[in-house]
Amino acid sequence: MPAAIGHELVALLPRLRRFALVLCRSQPLADDLVQGACERALANAGSWTPGTRFDAWMFRILRNHWIDHLRRTKAEGMTEDVATQTQLIGDPGEGPILSKLVLSEVQQAIESLPQEQREVLVLVCAEDLSYREAADVLNVPIGTVMSRLARARKRLVELTAAA
Amino acid sequence: MSQLHLSDEILMAFADGELDEPVAAAVAKAMVDSPGIAKRVVDFQQSRRLTRSAFANGSASPVPPELYAAVSAQIRAFEATNRQAAEPRFREARSPRFGRGSPYLNVALAASVAAIAVATGYFAGRQSAWDNDSLIAQLDHPLIRSELSRVASGRDVELPDGRMRVISTYRLQDGSLCREFRLQASSGAANAIACHQGRWNVALAVTSPANDAGYIPSDGTDLTATYLQNAGAGEPLVEDAEAKALAEAAR
Repeated sequence: MPAAIGHELVALLPRLRRFALVLCRSQPLADDLVQGACERALANAGSWTPGTRFDAWMFRILRNHWIDHLRRTKAEGMTEDVATQTQLIGDPGEGPILSKLVLSEVQQAIESLPQEQREVLVLVCAEDLSYREAADVLNVPIGTVMSRLARARKRLVELTAAA
Repeated sequence: MSQLHLSDEILMAFADGELDEPVAAAVAKAMVDSPGIAKRVVDFQQSRRLTRSAFANGSASPVPPELYAAVSAQIRAFEATNRQAAEPRFREARSPRFGRGSPYLNVALAASVAAIAVATGYFAGRQSAWDNDSLIAQLDHPLIRSELSRVASGRDVELPDGRMRVISTYRLQDGSLCREFRLQASSGAANAIACHQGRWNVALAVTSPANDAGYIPSDGTDLTATYLQNAGAGEPLVEDAEAKALAEAAR
């Protein structure tokens, strides 16, 4: 029932924004993305299975919405490489909101990771999704989740130890 | 005893509590035997803590009131629509007369009718500016129809007169399969939705002149999104699910 998910949606907004920001690296765009994803979720409330993780379901909708957004707005000649596209979107000119924030060493290290590693890192280590749940959100095999995640975390330790 | 290869992935899974018991026990033993392996596990635990604290303490600014207000308004709107529409929509869903034939009859909400009407008005209002008829006719070209049955979403296809990109694939509430795509041709550009009923039929198209090449006004994508949403399109079908649905439709 939409009434039931409405309450959970509102409670989840801060975390949705956080994940959206990881994806698109622009706060205004992240907020648009969250709003669009909420609309989709409400329209498809029936496809959420009660008893499963609502947050993981929402993260997947949000991420699919982002990929759709990329497909709609990219100039012609776009490739399937979502990771690269996302990097481009985050380039200066889009208004790199994150630069305004005081970033700790760790935040900078996370920022420096490739998109595909950053998103899996956030889902598992900050949002506490299991590998299986993260694989569902990202629509990749669990082995891919593990290899990206391991690479991200090794890099993070290297970067923060060296600094 | 057979040699256990302790890859980064295995050690990480151990640190995260994601390993099955026999392997976890072997890793625990290896940690005791080898300080190097213990260090690698500890590093994985450490990276999790670092990430968690970075996200807990940093980057997220408070949710702006506008976003709360917008989402709350969406929730109220959907609750209201659901209350109103619950009765008639339930009846429609059970009626075979509405389930087959025209997909539009199944589009219960008034908003979707408005979307189609607006699109028609859009054609009419700007017809003189460019050769809109030929562009609309082109959307129904056999080549496009065959590509719609074949190409995965996100791909570009070069056509004799232009380029098409399939954006996404949806299953509507009535079970019909629809795809959103864009055509960039010499006569103009179009964002369209085609649904499969025996063959691909264009259900909605928003067009713009050729000199807008590469740019589809945002109201075009808003219309297609509104259409899909009101037609009960769920989440887009991706990868295997999409391939399977296309294969079924092609049969």
